[in-house]
Amino acid sequence: MPVIEVNIEDLRELLGRDVTVEELQDRLPMMGTSWEGVTEDGFHLEVFPNRPDLLSIEGLARAYVSWTGAQTGLRSYPVKKSDYKVVVDEKTQKVRPWFVTAVVKNVEFDDPLIRSIIQMQEKLHVTHGRRRRKVAIGLHSLEPIEFPVTYTTKPPEFKFRPLGERFEKDLNWILEEMKTGKEYAWTVEGFKEYPMILDRKGMVLSMPPIINGEYTRIDEATTELFIDVTGTDLKAITEVLNVICVTLADRGAEIHEVHNHYPDGSVLTTPNLDPWVMELDNDYVNRTLGVEFTPQMSARELEKMGHGTEIEGDIIKVLIPSYRADIMHPIDLVEDVAIGYDYDNFEPEIPPISSEAGEDPLEVFSRGLRNFLVGLGLLEVVTFMMSNREKLFQRMSLPEEPICETDNPKMEAYDSLRNRLLPSLMEVLSTNKHHPYPQNLYEVDDVVVLDPSTETGARSRRRLAVALCHSSASFSEIKATMNTILENLELDAKVTEEGWECFIEGRRYTATLGGEPLCWAGEVKPEVLENWELEMPVAALEMDVDALFKNINPQK
Amino acid sequence: MNPREVAERLHENERKVLHALSGVGTATTEELSRLTGLARDAVEKASDWAATKGVVSFREEVSQFFTLTDEGRGYAEKGLPEQNLRKLLVHGPQEIAKLKQTFKNLNIALAWIRRNGWADIGDGVIQLTEEGKKVGDSIEERLLRALDETSLQSLEAVTEEDEALLEQLVKRKLVNKREEMTRFVAITDFGRQVVPELEKAEKVKVITQLTPEMLANGLWKGASFQRYDVTLPVPSLSPGKRHFISQVIDYIRRFWVELGFKEMKGEYLELSFWNFDALYQPQDHPARDLADTFYMKTPYSGHLPDMEMVERVKETHENGWTTGSLGWQYMWDPEVAARNCLRTHTTSLSVKQIAKLTPDDLPAKFFSCGRVFRNETIDWNHLAEFYQTDGIVIGEGVTFRDMKGYLKAYMEGLGVERFRFRPGYFPYTEMSMEAEVWTEERGEWMELFGAGMFRPEVVKPLIGIDVPVLAWGPGFDRLVMQSYKVNNIKELYTNDIGLLRRARLWTE
Repeated sequence: MPVIEVNIEDLRELLGRDVTVEELQDRLPMMGTSWEGVTEDGFHLEVFPNRPDLLSIEGLARAYVSWTGAQTGLRSYPVKKSDYKVVVDEKTQKVRPWFVTAVVKNVEFDDPLIRSIIQMQEKLHVTHGRRRRKVAIGLHSLEPIEFPVTYTTKPPEFKFRPLGERFEKDLNWILEEMKTGKEYAWTVEGFKEYPMILDRKGMVLSMPPIINGEYTRIDEATTELFIDVTGTDLKAITEVLNVICVTLADRGAEIHEVHNHYPDGSVLTTPNLDPWVMELDNDYVNRTLGVEFTPQMSARELEKMGHGTEIEGDIIKVLIPSYRADIMHPIDLVEDVAIGYDYDNFEPEIPPISSEAGEDPLEVFSRGLRNFLVGLGLLEVVTFMMSNREKLFQRMSLPEEPICETDNPKMEAYDSLRNRLLPSLMEVLSTNKHHPYPQNLYEVDDVVVLDPSTETGARSRRRLAVALCHSSASFSEIKATMNTILENLELDAKVTEEGWECFIEGRRYTATLGGEPLCWAGEVKPEVLENWELEMPVAALEMDVDALFKNINPQK
Repeated sequence: MNPREVAERLHENERKVLHALSGVGTATTEELSRLTGLARDAVEKASDWAATKGVVSFREEVSQFFTLTDEGRGYAEKGLPEQNLRKLLVHGPQEIAKLKQTFKNLNIALAWIRRNGWADIGDGVIQLTEEGKKVGDSIEERLLRALDETSLQSLEAVTEEDEALLEQLVKRKLVNKREEMTRFVAITDFGRQVVPELEKAEKVKVITQLTPEMLANGLWKGASFQRYDVTLPVPSLSPGKRHFISQVIDYIRRFWVELGFKEMKGEYLELSFWNFDALYQPQDHPARDLADTFYMKTPYSGHLPDMEMVERVKETHENGWTTGSLGWQYMWDPEVAARNCLRTHTTSLSVKQIAKLTPDDLPAKFFSCGRVFRNETIDWNHLAEFYQTDGIVIGEGVTFRDMKGYLKAYMEGLGVERFRFRPGYFPYTEMSMEAEVWTEERGEWMELFGAGMFRPEVVKPLIGIDVPVLAWGPGFDRLVMQSYKVNNIKELYTNDIGLLRRARLWTE
């Protein structure tokens, strides 16, 4: 989640009072942010991804002033009428289709505003913009631009002077040599022609989302801006444009409309900073929160959150500001009512719900097994389910089989899911050679096997494994372990000579019950011990707990 | 203690030693071994114990023995290489190339002759220095020859200067040094007082170990038991045990069941549908990135469940369906939803459970406790798989205040004194909360776990009606780490047997 740096002096200026860090540390989280720590000039604040309007210090101040009751209700952001026109070319529709714009005048670029805009733009790009692919913002000096502006595409050989360069460069050079080119080339990968914004003279405003043109460079003296937001999602770019415009408007700038002409003939006039309406049933507020607010009380809290309200009986018509990207359903307004009222002020209570309680029967059975095995003097281990082929097969001298494997692991040691429990115990033994013997271990836990009959094609199975590791670890000892488990479950298994190849031939077996395999056991082969760098014999077994469970609970 | 009491506490071997010493006064352990018939280390142990009781005292003397090594013996007979070279050079300088062919052990000779400052080497020629010419027979050779005849019994036989040279010879591996410790044990005055008591006590039979034969034959009657020093340490036991994580998991289950919750179980390998889509997470959400989630190569994807429900979820993502929401407004792709992944949270179990319910099953309370997987590089603070636990309460009339109520009960159960609940954010909940606890040492609020009410966009497509669902996950690893004073999260799962053997019983 995005973290912004807030300069306390800048914030104080916007709030119009000398607020203390202590007050902010205590109150800002209750408004809906997360405190990340004090810095030299102020503090860090984590902003939730659904509140892009809080990514600028102006937005933060706007929300805080409103929530603390100093200035509540809907703010008015008038947009002046104009003739500014931009044309969207058909060619962009297949690659980066959406384009919205605004003109902003009377901007005063002092340090706090510059800091705020740079940070906000960066954070918006990373989060809302999904690293510029979904949304990319361009800020330009209005002065040199001759309208109408065109949004089209250009071939790679096309040249222009990118921001910060002295000469014209072709687009391939920009993508390969410039910093933002290399970083964001992936957003335009595979395109035959690249998106480009030009004015009537053919001068380039920008190559979105890579870099702006030198032509419309902004400096401290700039007082009029042209803003473009391009992307793959109209809703997202509109939200971002609105957030930027109100941020500038809060600093006294004037917003002017621009007419975006689309190839299908439609004209989208932006920005639209009018509020939109959602109806909220006050009864829904009370049912959800467990309170008895009157519509007036709910409305008051909504106004503290920056909304406008009109009450009609039990229904509140809520006028939602254009910069709120998070309201999708009346429940979002209910949360605003709760935040306005302050979460601390809600009295906790526990509902008198009586319901059937209990644990899953297999879990109860597994616990019974775990506690029983302690009585054999065994030490329980809890190991990872993720493993790899080398540990599951090669090191165990077991033939390879299909197992569940991941596509994109970060670590080779953990790229698959285990299909046996025993290799995990061998691994524990191999990392504990510096501790005294005997080391007699057990684990009761899951493995995952392929199973085409399930929704996913895989299924987990519960297993039990025991590894006896000491200087006289023997076949009879491990078989006796299996016997004692079965006897105490009143089960009888048939022992056959086939078994897993990790065990010594002639000292291994498979026990079956009702024709199904139940237990595999034996003395571990010395080659396998060597593979695990063990110098102590091991006798081990693995049992199918699902099969055990089925046999003692035939009806379940 | 008085002599009588001490006499009663003496082990059989201590008595033997004491009796022997009452005759001779002082003896070495060697001599005591002969006198008592006990092995030397039995005598040593007995004298150790007897000394703690004050009936004997002992002192130990270290003697050093020097003997020649084979190499040393060779030089004792034929002379040290550097001496032989020096004697040769007395007749005049020599060419090193020539010497290489004729002189044995030339390298050793060269090394030492230069070290001693007896010769200079230049232009392939070696010649004696002034000092080299003056030196006569060396002391080392004398020592070597002396050692050859007899091995030196102790350092008193040599002078201080000799001592240093001997140490050098040891370093040069021409001489072996062996140290032997001789212990001289003496009876103390107090010990002499105890001896008569011994005779008295011996008239009474003393039992060390009660045996079945003694019980069968009544031989224990009239005998007394050797008294032990009960404060002495005894060998430790190494019992079988449950892993501490396993014990905490049992506790967490008990906690949920006591609150009236029923367990939900599910698979680790899940459809993206259950892990993300059913939780109303849009398909381009960053959490679905390869970076954070393990997607499967085998099996690559699965089959989506009940098509009607899937259709409802699809519509909800695209336009809100009948939930009253605007939806995410994008095109929902069933193939993305069918992709298999390892579940990243136990919340996927919660939605699967909700999908199984009908309105007649409500109200209901469910919990889950199981492993989840995150595609992370493992370090001191991050694991690729770890435990999570989740609870949901579903039913008409369940409210935000009820959520605060459950969380408050949980915090108070943990013994947390100062806590608060502030607004939080999860893509699938609204009202969302973070529970924070006040940490005195840092003077700030610390996030402990999250909670929220599932969004209508999550619940309605699954169960068909709009019904409130409270959800929260009380966190697991931190609880264990704090209780067992583990700072590195990896230690929870490394199964270090030393740690497991030392870990205390979980008693909550």
